[in-house]
Amino acid sequence: MATATQSLPSSTADTRRRGSLLADGVAGVGAIALRGVGSIGSASRFIGEALVALRDATTWLPQALGQMWTLGVASLPIALFIATFTGIVLALLASYSFTGAVPLYFVGTLVEKTVTLELAPVLTGLALAGRVGANIAAELGTMRVTEQIDALETLGYDPIPFLVVPRVLAGAVMFPFVVAASMIVGVGAGWAASVALLHISTPEFVKGLRLFFQAFDVQYGLVKSASFGFAVTLIGCARGLKTQGGAVGVGRAATSAVVYSAVFILVLDAFWAVTWLLGRDAVR
Amino acid sequence: MKRQTDVLVGLVVLLIAVATIGAVAWVKQADIGKRQRDVVARFHDVGNARVGNAVVIRGVVGGRVQTIELAPNGWVDVHMKIDPSVQLPADPVVLLNETSLFGEWQATVIERNALPHDEAVQREIDDPGRGRGVLPGASQPGIGKLTAVAGQIAGDVANVAGRVEVAFDEQAAHELRGSIKNVSDLSTTLSSVVRTHASDLDVLSDELRKAIETLNRAANSVQTTAGRVDSATTSPQVRAIVTDVAAASTDLRRAATQVNDLSKRFATSQTRLDALLATGDSLLTKINSGQGSLGLFVNDPSMYRRTDSLLVQLRALAADIQANPKKYISVKIF
Repeated sequence: MATATQSLPSSTADTRRRGSLLADGVAGVGAIALRGVGSIGSASRFIGEALVALRDATTWLPQALGQMWTLGVASLPIALFIATFTGIVLALLASYSFTGAVPLYFVGTLVEKTVTLELAPVLTGLALAGRVGANIAAELGTMRVTEQIDALETLGYDPIPFLVVPRVLAGAVMFPFVVAASMIVGVGAGWAASVALLHISTPEFVKGLRLFFQAFDVQYGLVKSASFGFAVTLIGCARGLKTQGGAVGVGRAATSAVVYSAVFILVLDAFWAVTWLLGRDAVR
Repeated sequence: MKRQTDVLVGLVVLLIAVATIGAVAWVKQADIGKRQRDVVARFHDVGNARVGNAVVIRGVVGGRVQTIELAPNGWVDVHMKIDPSVQLPADPVVLLNETSLFGEWQATVIERNALPHDEAVQREIDDPGRGRGVLPGASQPGIGKLTAVAGQIAGDVANVAGRVEVAFDEQAAHELRGSIKNVSDLSTTLSSVVRTHASDLDVLSDELRKAIETLNRAANSVQTTAGRVDSATTSPQVRAIVTDVAAASTDLRRAATQVNDLSKRFATSQTRLDALLATGDSLLTKINSGQGSLGLFVNDPSMYRRTDSLLVQLRALAADIQANPKKYISVKIF
């Protein structure tokens, strides 16, 4: 073959080489597209299986409360810690930005709007993506590599209602509660920082807080956080169940679960902003 | 252990739910279970007023805007929840206005008499078309509207400035410079004239001052004389003289009246005489020109001769009649 190639004229060989490169490029694009479509398909199938498994309440319900404790209540300290410092920093940033031009009671407005609409859901979601998503992926991944899940399947148990549905439901239900607590603590921390560090009186801060407050702000943040909880737990479960290759595979699954969760949190954040906030009157 | 976990989860969930609902209610100042009075005001336009804006009465927040909805015939109804203990002013009206530069609006309930002196607001408040059972309302322009108007004015000013710039070309500037130079020259000339005549003016001023002093002195003298005359007229002799003079003056006035009447009559006679003379003149003229019987008689000698001859004949006839009366007179009784 090499001899035959060498005997060909150099221009013909170049043409063949270029054709081969082009075919490789097209094949690469096709492979990526197939992988993407395959991922979407497998994710859709996974979600479908989880939804179907909802019917098996006797299996997932006893597990759900335990998961709600693990994923929700146990996550409160880190979420509230983040919210506290977020509120303090927001108040200081607002006063720094408003100096001289805007009345300082707008610190309350900015803290309320920013915490309820964006920072409490997103920062808590990102924190829980690390804590909860990695936890689920590692737990299920370890079960997969130690063949516990295979054992369940061998015994006729469907791992989806037993392992996935309780976690996803717990995440979707408990994330809004954690975020609600973060909102309260974040605004409270902003108030404390305003009073202690910025010498804004409580009535002034409350005036700014109430100025443009709408119940919709809280509603928006809580719905968004529920979607974050659903996405983080679902990704963690999916990555954990697909774990391969022992401890390294478990670590890779945990890492990818956190990365995908973080990406999906930001994508969902933009999705909700576009679909729900765009065109809505801010002071209605 | 599992039971304890379940209880803890439930407690946390309930606690957070109650805290969240309570916080939202507190921030929104929701008065759960509290009775409130519903007051409706009707506007043409509510500007940027929104649900939840404060309702202010005499500077104190007494309620909140509950709903804002369109009403028939181009009106907007604003429903306000007001604390029942708050007493509305007599003949109340509602003003929607901006309370700061940052978009905060409020509904202010005031007496009609206390409305600001704004023609548009008065007109909207007095509009009779809003019907009964609602408070009259008007919205004052927000800073956005005012800024828009200011922007429009600025645009107009810029437009005018542009036109001035177009009109004020090089030629106009040159003419203006010439005018200014002319005014400057005129000013210089006037200044030199003033300087030249300053001494004359000083002299004139001195003379004027002297004249005034002289006049003052004359006035003093007149005043003194008048005083003396005044004192002299108070003596009895002078009074008698004055009385006699008054009587003489009365007689003179009477005589003058009579002379006046006489002269009037004389004037009348003169007029008649003039008319008579004119008539005589006309008659003599006619006689001289031979007009009429007398003229013919005067101017025609044959007439005189015939008349003379007639007289002779008449004398002869008279003599004959005297001599022979029976020849001419016959008296018969039967």
